[in-house]
Amino acid sequence: MNNKISYIIIAILFLSVQSFAQEWLVPGDQRNIKNPLEYNLDNVQKGKDLYLKNCKSCHGDPGKNNALPLVPPPVDITSEKMQKNTVGELFYKITNGRGGMPQFKTNISEDDRWRIVNYIMNFNPNREPVLVAAPKVKAKIMASVNEKERKVEVFAEHEVKGKYSSLGNEQITISAKKYFGNIKIGEVTTDNNGRAEFNIPESLIGDEEGNVNMVVSLGEDYIAEAVLLEEAKVGQNKKVQKLIKPGILWSTNENIQIWLLLSYIGAVGAAWAAIAYVVFQLIKVKRLGKTEH
Amino acid sequence: MEKNTRRKFMKTLGASIGVASVAGSSSLLNSCAKIESNNGDKIKLLTSSGELVEVDKSQLKPAEMPSLTEFQKRGREGLPGKSWVMVIDLAKCRNARQCMKACQNHHQLRPEQHHINVLQMQDAEHTAPYYMPKPCQHCDNPPCTKVCPVNATFKRDDGIVLIDNERCIGCRFCIAACPYSARVFNWFEPRDAEKYKGVTYNIEANVPQKKGTISKCLFSADRLRDGKLPSCVSACPNGVYWFGDRNEDAVTNGTTKETVNLTALLKQNAAYTLMEELGTKPRVYYLPPKDRAFPFQEEIKNDH
Repeated sequence: MNNKISYIIIAILFLSVQSFAQEWLVPGDQRNIKNPLEYNLDNVQKGKDLYLKNCKSCHGDPGKNNALPLVPPPVDITSEKMQKNTVGELFYKITNGRGGMPQFKTNISEDDRWRIVNYIMNFNPNREPVLVAAPKVKAKIMASVNEKERKVEVFAEHEVKGKYSSLGNEQITISAKKYFGNIKIGEVTTDNNGRAEFNIPESLIGDEEGNVNMVVSLGEDYIAEAVLLEEAKVGQNKKVQKLIKPGILWSTNENIQIWLLLSYIGAVGAAWAAIAYVVFQLIKVKRLGKTEH
Repeated sequence: MEKNTRRKFMKTLGASIGVASVAGSSSLLNSCAKIESNNGDKIKLLTSSGELVEVDKSQLKPAEMPSLTEFQKRGREGLPGKSWVMVIDLAKCRNARQCMKACQNHHQLRPEQHHINVLQMQDAEHTAPYYMPKPCQHCDNPPCTKVCPVNATFKRDDGIVLIDNERCIGCRFCIAACPYSARVFNWFEPRDAEKYKGVTYNIEANVPQKKGTISKCLFSADRLRDGKLPSCVSACPNGVYWFGDRNEDAVTNGTTKETVNLTALLKQNAAYTLMEELGTKPRVYYLPPKDRAFPFQEEIKNDH
């Protein structure tokens, strides 16, 4: 009898420890499915794009441990905890989610989910990485805005063996400053001389006078400061709608409507003028009466 | 003879006490004056530019407190040229309730008071349940401001509907007028009333709250003035909220801090507003709960 109780207690303890450890159990048949997609550069690159769009906001940049501070914490994809998973387990977890981790069954296709798994596998210590991030290169951007032709002219340089030389065939992002952050308005690729011209779209909205603050920045592979361009009049004027008519209920002198004030003063003035007219007429009558006799 | 000596004794006693008290008080006065005129006493201060400076204690003056009337004036005017809107993506909400928590902390609300509330919704018998955060809709044609007999609640030019608790008489007409049940009444002393004692009332945060008056969602107007996103928007861990200026046609996500085009976001996701048939013209847009990121956790209660 005693034995039975202690077995039960041990079983309960074991289960609770397991749930405390927050082990994420994947059904056995799911754990060992094979990756139907080939582990190659194309799939890993596509997986990276998908990762940046769907996963980065919580899991952060790979290897930088800059995940969001959530409970339970999102795991860095390069970490040992993440890489312990088999491909089948990763696929199952991405597909179904749990707790804070959303499911991606309905919004990412099966192939694309496998591509994300491929991208995570790129950081597996037992595998040859196919997508190797080149060491970051120091770079400089120079940019100016041409108000007349509505163009942003960009010139980019990068450091090669201690010297700066022009940076060709590289994507440059142009964004516009908004109240809470920058909005991307377009991209240009530099030519062989490191130069690029960006045509500012007509639809861009500026402030009340049409002034826009633009930011020019390079991709993640470079260490370069983003250039904040001078305020330029290249956007549409921001249309500001007047929502409120001043002068409402319980008007005070401060917010009275002009027509109301004028008509009130006019009415009062007219009444006083009428009284004055009558009084003067009476005086006139009296005077006339005196002079006759 | 005895009387004499006694009188003498009293006299000397009185005189000595008098002398002692004069001497004592003068020395006390002296010491006070000494503290005030002690030029050597300096304290260290951190300037806004991050420099550590030393200032003579005698130079210190009490700082000017922002006055109530100034808060009320700028609170009525709003931020020039702005037109705030919120977009709520119902597909992302998983009932984490971080928005509600952040809001209650910011606006000094009791646990049962909500400026924003995450509701469990099921539109019809055979449709799927979903979570719906519901703040004040900040209508462009607000029914609530029109019924206020004392002009305490009002609409600003930047789109926010606010309430001045200093003017509010607690008649609750606005609660009755609001079709979204966005307003709460302070039936009891507000939470942490002791902590907020002596704080100048800020009309843009409704803090400190006042018993017997109305409170409601303010889109965190005080934070917007500082260029920060509203409390609920920045607290969300799931990227549910987008917030921004409709005049700029841009909204920023509180979780990812990504800024996108408002028109495109609303168009691509078939956004809708709540009860627009009432002609209230709400400023809060909802993106339908399609392809939800999280499953609905509880059983929906069928008690309506």
